[in-house]
Amino acid sequence: MKEYLPILVVFLFVLGFAVTNLVLAHLLGRHRNTRAKLMPYECGIDPVGSAHQRFSVRFYLVAMMFILFDIEAVFLLPWAVIFRSLSEKLSRPFVYAEMMVFLIVLLVGYIYVWKKGVFEWNRG
Amino acid sequence: MQFSNLNLDYFSILPEIITALAGVILMLIDAFSKKAGRKLSPMFSLFALVATLASIIALWPRASYTASFAGMIVNDHLRLYFALVIVACGIIATLLASQFLDDEALPPGEFYALMMFATTGMLMMASAGDLVMVFLGLETSSIATYVMAGYRRTDLRANESSLKYFLLGSFSAAFLLYGMALTYGATGTTNIEGIRQILIAGKVIYPQMLLVGVAMMLVGFGFKIATAPFHLWTPDVYEGAPTLVTAILATGPKVAVFAAFLRVFAEGLGTPTAPAVGAQIYDNWINALAVMAAIGMTFGNIVALAQRNMKRMLAYSSIAHGGYTLIGFLTTEYAPVGFYMLTYALMSLGAFAIVQMLAREGDAKTEISDYAGIGFEVPNLSFPLAIFMLSMAGIPPMAGFMGKFYVFKSAWVSSPNLRWLVIVAIINSIISVYYYLYPIVVMFFRPPVSDFTKPRLSPMSQLALAITIIGTLYFGLFPNGALKVLQQKTPGAQQVAVQK
Amino acid sequence: MVPLSWYLALSAALFTIGVAGVLVQRNVISIFMCIELMLNSVNLTLVAFSRFLNQSTGQLFVFIVMAVAAAEAAVGLAIIISVFRNRETLSVDEESLLKL
Repeated sequence: MKEYLPILVVFLFVLGFAVTNLVLAHLLGRHRNTRAKLMPYECGIDPVGSAHQRFSVRFYLVAMMFILFDIEAVFLLPWAVIFRSLSEKLSRPFVYAEMMVFLIVLLVGYIYVWKKGVFEWNRG
Repeated sequence: MQFSNLNLDYFSILPEIITALAGVILMLIDAFSKKAGRKLSPMFSLFALVATLASIIALWPRASYTASFAGMIVNDHLRLYFALVIVACGIIATLLASQFLDDEALPPGEFYALMMFATTGMLMMASAGDLVMVFLGLETSSIATYVMAGYRRTDLRANESSLKYFLLGSFSAAFLLYGMALTYGATGTTNIEGIRQILIAGKVIYPQMLLVGVAMMLVGFGFKIATAPFHLWTPDVYEGAPTLVTAILATGPKVAVFAAFLRVFAEGLGTPTAPAVGAQIYDNWINALAVMAAIGMTFGNIVALAQRNMKRMLAYSSIAHGGYTLIGFLTTEYAPVGFYMLTYALMSLGAFAIVQMLAREGDAKTEISDYAGIGFEVPNLSFPLAIFMLSMAGIPPMAGFMGKFYVFKSAWVSSPNLRWLVIVAIINSIISVYYYLYPIVVMFFRPPVSDFTKPRLSPMSQLALAITIIGTLYFGLFPNGALKVLQQKTPGAQQVAVQK
Repeated sequence: MVPLSWYLALSAALFTIGVAGVLVQRNVISIFMCIELMLNSVNLTLVAFSRFLNQSTGQLFVFIVMAVAAAEAAVGLAIIISVFRNRETLSVDEESLLKL
């Protein structure tokens, strides 16, 4: 059972992180309940009414960004799996730096879409 | 997974690193300052491309079959030569781009960034030593060019061209990928040199599957180089895209796909003496290519005869040129294909550049009848166009003649049982003279159109035009220098170990 | 254990469905989804081979294919959106400005 200890730690950390954030938001945030805020959460879409309505093109933009940044995470997993064995062959900082270069390139993409105003919902 | 022969030789991918980094920086320039971008971006991308050129030349003395990055990158003469042609295409296109973007009032920054990413993909295709890299390079360049084809965002024709290019491009990429997957399954490796070794050793696990895989790869590559019977997207995409983008689509990616095509087929599957399935596969793909080449040239030339739009005519002519180039595969050497691609790229870029300048905003004037009588109005454009047309028709002393001559001659010598193909090609080039001469006749011997005004020519466009003209004449008159470079053999071709 | 040929047959069937869909469908989004189906059927082939040859190369290839497919999806959807904005239709039969 001992080898499962790290997983327990991760669970506790995640739980603690979530609870801390909720508590802090409750204590520090201002409470102004509007009608929109009290509706069931449906990713910004009106939950009542016909399902056959057109969605704003902005949803597609966000969805595309999500796909891109989400998929890039697949490269992190194999890297993490072979990190130890590869570090023995090459130097550990080098293997670490390899992935950092990849992440920096991703970050540049993020800065680009940010500057282009993709995340501004009320644009134009 | 072995880590022992990783061979992380970063110097060998310096060209790709420079272009990719330049693309990223260009994106940031555009994101942070649009105004500065218009002046800065073209200069910066030219600088980056010249640096890439220098890095390729610096890599020349290190050319060898030793693969780096666990066999993913091969740094031999084929790679370096094609990389040189690709970057030269990129430089000429960049020189032309600034006037195009200014005249059409299009956003500049992304165009250069996309061009850099496309060039990165093309360079990756040229240096690929593994099917994975071939696919990755192909898609990197394709995805960038899909966007470029639709760069004139509000133009319906550009939209349609971009959509068709995207749908058919990814459709064909899926075929190529399935072929690669089956080849991997049949041989147990994705390394191109490894596949060759397995064919020679006669250790193919599933021979029938290999045949299907190779056939599907042939279809995928056939789509990408736009040879018949997989050419149907070409005229529409070439006509609808902005002319400068058409110039890029018709040259750089085509050169790069031919490099990867040579690598996979002429090197990886070029095993005429291998036991059992190896020799059978060689016979099959050589014959299939011969048929594709024959259909491609004949179809391209005959349909081009009927075209009245300059861009469509050049599109069909590029299908025909693809057919001529395929004849060079019969030699399983890269020299004929390489030299033909060099001459084709120069004259194609030049011809499309002039069409671009005469077309005006929104590609309004691309019919051949629009060129009536302009011959002596704008001699600085009409005479170069005449040179490029004559070169494409294969009339000496232009480069086009030398390219055709070299391909036909080496195919004639190397494969006696496929000489009919060379004869078909010669008949075809005679037919093609008619439609290449037609624009010249219209330009010089028809009464002029009344509403013609002289187009503006920026210094950078003039430089680009000068490079293509000088190149077309130089390689036609003095081809020996280029041929000497092409005939360099990478040392130690035989002693390559299989890498898994 | 399930034999290799079953996986290959399944992925070949999926690939064929994708090809047929590309040729038959008239809506750009459906065509696009069929192309994605083709790519994913190839992924299945690669993973099956990787498992039966006892190598990791095939799985690596799959990662690359997935990343490329995502990039292609983003660019493809962007192109489709810009076509729709200018035309208000997504039927490929209407895309006939340029003809042979």
